[in-house]
Amino acid sequence: MANNLYLTGVGGQGVIRLGQIIAAYAMEEGQKVKLFKQVGMAQRGGPVHCEIRIGEVFGSRIPPYSADVVAAMEISEALKAAEFIRPGGTVILNESKVYPIDIMIKPEMYPALSEIEEIFHRLQAKIIKLDAAAIAEQLGLPIAENIVLLGAISFVSSFNREQMIKVLKNNIPRQIEKNIEAFSAGYKVAEGMLL
Amino acid sequence: MKKLLTGNEAIAEGAIAAGVDVVAGYPGTPSTEVILTLMAKKQELDFHIEWSVNEKVAFEVAAGAAWAGKRALVTMKMAGLNVASDSIANFSYSGCNGGLVIFVADDPGVHAGMAEQDSRYYAKSMIIPMLDLASQQECWDYVKAAFDISERIKGPVLLRSTTDIAHTASDVEIGKKEKIAKREAYFEQDIAKYTKAGAAICMTQHRDALERLAESLKIVDSYLTESGIKINESHLSPNRYGVIYGGAVEGTLREVLRRFNLEISWLKIGLIHPLPEEKIKEFLTNVDRVLILEELEPLIETEVMRIAFQINKKVDIIGKLDKTFSVSGNYSFIDIKKGLESLLNKKLEAADNPEILEDAKKLQVKRPISFCTGCPHRGTYYALNKAIKNLKYKKNEIIITGDIGCTILGMNKPFESCWTEVAMGASIGLAQGFKWAGIEKPVIATIGDSTFFHAGIPPLINAVYQKVPLVVIILDNGWTAMTGFEENPGTTYFKESPTQRVDIVEVCKGCGVDKIDIIDPYQSEESIRVIEEAIKYPGVSVVVSRRECALQANRRKVVLDKFRVDFDKCTGCRICLNQLACQAMVFHPKTENRKAYMEITAECFGCGLCQYTCPTGAIEVIKDGE
Repeated sequence: MANNLYLTGVGGQGVIRLGQIIAAYAMEEGQKVKLFKQVGMAQRGGPVHCEIRIGEVFGSRIPPYSADVVAAMEISEALKAAEFIRPGGTVILNESKVYPIDIMIKPEMYPALSEIEEIFHRLQAKIIKLDAAAIAEQLGLPIAENIVLLGAISFVSSFNREQMIKVLKNNIPRQIEKNIEAFSAGYKVAEGMLL
Repeated sequence: MKKLLTGNEAIAEGAIAAGVDVVAGYPGTPSTEVILTLMAKKQELDFHIEWSVNEKVAFEVAAGAAWAGKRALVTMKMAGLNVASDSIANFSYSGCNGGLVIFVADDPGVHAGMAEQDSRYYAKSMIIPMLDLASQQECWDYVKAAFDISERIKGPVLLRSTTDIAHTASDVEIGKKEKIAKREAYFEQDIAKYTKAGAAICMTQHRDALERLAESLKIVDSYLTESGIKINESHLSPNRYGVIYGGAVEGTLREVLRRFNLEISWLKIGLIHPLPEEKIKEFLTNVDRVLILEELEPLIETEVMRIAFQINKKVDIIGKLDKTFSVSGNYSFIDIKKGLESLLNKKLEAADNPEILEDAKKLQVKRPISFCTGCPHRGTYYALNKAIKNLKYKKNEIIITGDIGCTILGMNKPFESCWTEVAMGASIGLAQGFKWAGIEKPVIATIGDSTFFHAGIPPLINAVYQKVPLVVIILDNGWTAMTGFEENPGTTYFKESPTQRVDIVEVCKGCGVDKIDIIDPYQSEESIRVIEEAIKYPGVSVVVSRRECALQANRRKVVLDKFRVDFDKCTGCRICLNQLACQAMVFHPKTENRKAYMEITAECFGCGLCQYTCPTGAIEVIKDGE
């Protein structure tokens, strides 16, 4: 099971919610957990990230080159986690872009997908790409974008699938069946790309 | 039972378990969630919890309860401790009968955009013992310990946290709720103890406070918390290397020691004031080189140096005074690793790819913060900038003093209205100073509703009293929004509430302000006109820009008509985006098949400001049913 997970994105994408669900899962598994949340300016278009550390860890922050998994809800935000991914770790890139005002005016300033991928190739990380928004949309529950990502994270992190679904049931108040579908879809994408 | 709790949630749970009777505070990152956690459970808790008007008042509320023999907790951020310090420092001389815990959270690394103040120094100047938190478990344990110590020494206890502890969640072992015999509120008149009548009384009280301090150290020396944590603890290794540390660095230190398999002596200091002098002496006799780990000021370090000098022990001290560490910022894994390398005089090998990280950094997207979609403040600053322009002033000649809270975001693009940010309420006082200094052009102060109640009223009275021509714009969104939408005296309650609303307009009238106008920031034309009038007014004029925080209105299911762009009329000029930076706007650049155009997404809240910016009238309201 993964020990260090770094989740990143922008305000409103459900990054912190993801972190809370994974932390709840680890608690259910009887593990020690640390969940660091960097929020602050989230609702004002700012970046959001959280770090989940599972098992015998002491500090709340992931040491450099130590994350087993980096998952970015917003694709360029993955770059801010570059110093944390360990060689051989997996980067999950959700192909969603959120433009701040400067980029809206000059979209060419936004990094190309190939440039982002190259950074992580150089850092010897595995890469999984998925379009979680499209998958969630297809299921008729666009809000479950982060749960699609949770599926991919769970596969990559070797989380127990049934146990995670149980945690989802305890943590998601509405549309649980659709959310489980979203979770399974993300799980399958990761499985297909890594196996 | 284990629960996943942030440090602040653990403080709240610990306070419940300690049988607290009264809790008061003022919101401030990173301390806010203690009371937020309690507020969420208010129905099931049988004690008083309040958001007070400011930290000084909050402290006094808690202190009064502690004088009446109860257990009271007051919470604040470091800036709030400055506000409350006058009352705390003087209360400390008298001590208390019940238990009084003062919780303060510092922010090394500035996660919340304020000063990197080191509140530990207050403990010394106020003669109050201070516990320094190093983990989420300690948050739960130390609240209970702090009440216990407070009641045993009969004086207040400071409990200090930092952002890293406060905002990280961890598995915390929750013990049992303490069974405390029911106490009747009782306070006995004792002039010599509770007043400051004369030098003799004051100096006696000073000596009493010092005795309480000494007593606290005796108690802590052998203290074992409920989960078995020793507040001051040491471990000796046969080699002559040691670390002395306090606070949030503990987790990362242990992480580095494990990663590099290092075995050295360490002394953990949980009681930061008074320092465990004897323990430090004993530790120093067992080491020849010592690394001091503490974020912010070198408080422990200078004391260790002093003690080493007094016991005539030659020891190399590595910390901030030798420039190994900075006084500013958090201690990262890499910082602590470097510190240990310095201590041990050897390199600890670890992977590093600086070139790749440099390339990654170049590609990163910067995300400057702006107002939320539908934020009424966007409308106020838009109107304010327009009014200044209409009156033929240049933007760079009208000083606008800003204040704490969401309203300060008016300093950012695209408005760049606010020039200054100092402290709660300071916008109104500073503006008067600018006028007396001889600034002839109008000076405008902007301030939020909660900030106005907190510390804006005395400077407003001063402006009226001293007859300073001034415009004060109070951006009244009805909530203490920046810190997480807490209530304040101006909050309108939509359900039954035990509190009473205080109207800012009535307060301003009571302060003697003659010219008071109320605007709706969503109505730009009217707002611009009123602000122009206010700027032209020769005395003190107040404009209350009133509209509920859009995020809160949204939560209450307030639905406004949304807006859309008529693609035929839109020229893709981006004036709307450049002037408002609304997050519901998306620009579509020109392609081979179509011209450039703007889109308003479903994120639109319906403030309608964009309508006022569009030169071609391309933005229209979506009528019902369309």
